[in-house]
Amino acid sequence: MIEAPPGGDLMIRAMKLSKRYPGGTAALEDVDLEVGRGEFVFITGASGAGKTTLLRLILRQELPSSGQVLVNGRNVGALPASKVPDLRKSIGVVFQDFKLIQRKTALENVAYVLNVAGLPRGEQRRRAFQVLRSVGLHHRLSVLPPALSGGEQQRVAIARAVVNEPTLLLADEPTGNLDPDLAVEIMRLFREINARGTTVVVATHDRDLVKRMQRRVVTLERGRLAPSESDS
Amino acid sequence: MKTALARLRYFATDALDEWRHSPGVNLLATATLVAALFIGGLALLVISNVDGYLDHARNELNVHVYLLPDPTSAELRRIEQRLSSLAEVSRVEYVDQQEALRRYREWYGGSLAALAGELEANPLPASFEVYLAPGSESGGAAAVVTRAVTGFDGVDEVWFDAEWLDRLDALLRLAKVGGGVLSMLVFTAVVLVMASVLRLAVYARRDEIEIMQLVGATPSFVRGPFIVAGLAQGLLASVAAVVLVEAARRGIFLYAGSNPLAVLGIVAGGPLSVSDSALIVVTGLVISLVGAWFAVRRTT
Repeated sequence: MIEAPPGGDLMIRAMKLSKRYPGGTAALEDVDLEVGRGEFVFITGASGAGKTTLLRLILRQELPSSGQVLVNGRNVGALPASKVPDLRKSIGVVFQDFKLIQRKTALENVAYVLNVAGLPRGEQRRRAFQVLRSVGLHHRLSVLPPALSGGEQQRVAIARAVVNEPTLLLADEPTGNLDPDLAVEIMRLFREINARGTTVVVATHDRDLVKRMQRRVVTLERGRLAPSESDS
Repeated sequence: MKTALARLRYFATDALDEWRHSPGVNLLATATLVAALFIGGLALLVISNVDGYLDHARNELNVHVYLLPDPTSAELRRIEQRLSSLAEVSRVEYVDQQEALRRYREWYGGSLAALAGELEANPLPASFEVYLAPGSESGGAAAVVTRAVTGFDGVDEVWFDAEWLDRLDALLRLAKVGGGVLSMLVFTAVVLVMASVLRLAVYARRDEIEIMQLVGATPSFVRGPFIVAGLAQGLLASVAAVVLVEAARRGIFLYAGSNPLAVLGIVAGGPLSVSDSALIVVTGLVISLVGAWFAVRRTT
């Protein structure tokens, strides 16, 4: 397995990061993690291991109970609410259930991110078209999500995640709803995105896929970081 | 400026999309607002028309100086000169017995007019009609006139009845105050209804809102289309309410017929003024804006 970067230029740094839900359930417990700029990291673990919670903390969908998570040097938990949109604009996200706006076409879904960023309408459409072409969906621009297949919807979601050229891409079980061939295709896209310099963090429980990709793997077990193979 | 216009255009497009997406909820919100503004508009119409009628009636007020039977020409001249010399008086008109009878027949018509014809002698007295000067306070001016000619030879009685006008005026003032309080209550109720109905629309799009927030949309960017949709509803509803009030006024006027003294004819006498129409439109916009704000405030 590939080693973690020894400090230096970090995109993500979690320090003693814990998240406990009301009732005492600990989703994450004292997690220390470093992800270097431009790295491709898999976060694996069984269902309930804390993978999604970790991504939600990075995206500031939730606040940590203790500890800190820094993204690009910024303490995410300490960000004022008014700065959260800026943080999210710098992060692309892909979800297992795609999370596409159902009443917007594929092109509009992708262009929406650029609209939020304040780009002119023409530029939004031009860049959204380019990215959709790069994921092989240039012939499905005007189609609404319900009329797209699962693989197509996930490719639209990936296009939306990268259209703003984020420095960090988070993907939560991006292949969970796809058949194995499509899963490989999605991973190929992630590899291409990573090759262009974007840091990619993929949470998945698909060990076969992880093995095939030959990238660094961080494993969570019941909210704690499991020792890496190089540690044992 | 260009960015702001582009953003406004996006809000408008998305608001239109929102209408297409949930027509039922939006129509319900608009219909509620139309009903409330229509009732408010009718109240404004009645108040402004009765107000106008009162002003007109006050300008037409006059004091009647009734004379004893068979006044001499010297007595008539002295009374007329005294009345004309008063600053509170603009005009004095002598009404002899024949003219008084003619007016009686004209005003009352029918069997009452016939009754007058059956009498052996004309029972109506001659009088001076004293028109008060514009701008003078009617009660005070009438008192001056009364004092000036009371005790004059030939004068029987001085009569001035502005009591009904004062009562109507007081009633109208009460209606204005009560209407103001009632309007505030209705305003609050409609805002709450609008907010609840619009919240349904927001709730229906909660997944979409979550996605918008996850890709970095600011709260104002998420709220924008809902606020614009609310404002569009307010504009539509208030214009519809103004049109409906005018249609209702014309209907009432036709029903009241040509009799200008009929109550319905008075309350529907004139259309809503431009300022009253603007007040309805502004109220509609404010209600919808506040309602939309409350609807999206918690969700976003």
